[in-house]
Amino acid sequence: MSDGVIVIVNGRERAAAPGETVESLLENLGLGAQFALVERNGQPVDRARYGETRLEDGDRLVVARPVAGG
Amino acid sequence: MDDPLVIAGRELRSRLITGTGKYRSPEAMRDAVIASGCELVTVAVGRIDLDQVDEAITDYLPEGVSLLPNTAGSASADEAVRIARLARAGGLPDWVKLEVIPDPRYLLPDPVGTLEAAERLVEEGFTVLPYVLPDPVLQKRLESVGCAAIMPLASPIGSGRGLKLRHAIEIMVEQAEVPVIVDAGLRAPSHAAECLELGADAVLVNTAIARADDPAAMAHAFRLAVEAGRAARLAGLIEERETAEPSSPLGGLAARS
Repeated sequence: MSDGVIVIVNGRERAAAPGETVESLLENLGLGAQFALVERNGQPVDRARYGETRLEDGDRLVVARPVAGG
Repeated sequence: MDDPLVIAGRELRSRLITGTGKYRSPEAMRDAVIASGCELVTVAVGRIDLDQVDEAITDYLPEGVSLLPNTAGSASADEAVRIARLARAGGLPDWVKLEVIPDPRYLLPDPVGTLEAAERLVEEGFTVLPYVLPDPVLQKRLESVGCAAIMPLASPIGSGRGLKLRHAIEIMVEQAEVPVIVDAGLRAPSHAAECLELGADAVLVNTAIARADDPAAMAHAFRLAVEAGRAARLAGLIEERETAEPSSPLGGLAARS
């Protein structure tokens, strides 16, 4: 894992593989089928860019989705 | 009857919008949404619990129903803008029910923060539907920055107290340039009918349906009430009078002289 990176996902540290993208992270989290919304370091990530957005060491990610509300 | 509700150029047949919160189960939510006949439902945006990923609410929504993401949980304009941006980037519609609510006790919206966020979101290309107190002056300010509809509350969220600020909402209806959608505080279908009768363009109902003994049956009742209220508005209600006016001849058969 020497080339791996540590990212923070929803407030929790997680080791990510080298070359991990937003898309592969979601798959590894078991969210591949979910309609996940992703914020990276305070900026929203466009869905079209999930596959090309590579994670970097120390990235802070928020993974969200639509939930029940009024 | 061809009488669509038009918001930002989009035609909606139903004048009832429902929320997806507070249901006992997602199946009950789905059944109520179907029974309501609504075409637009609100959703919030929340973090996924990565330890326990359950099914998404969106999996239960029927075909043909569009999502209206809200900015619930925002205590400031910045937080509301952040949620709207996240929702749109992730593929949700660019329509947003804008809520800026600093204090959870009465859940009343912050007019200054709402106006600030509305202006920013409209500039960024969002279709903005702000949730506000029934304030006709604020309504004009929100219209002037480009909001697509204004959503005044009837009474505090979940309170079920009905139209407590009726006269302010009547002023809003009278001077509206974009649709007025009464949102929050309705308990009974008669409250919804009253809103449509006084000229509101639509209502948004959540708690009154979700917490009913039979949510789908209550959703159906609200659907009927909204249709009745709108039909009455178009039919033209009579003026109130101080004194009686007979509906039958007063004389009867007795000869009076």
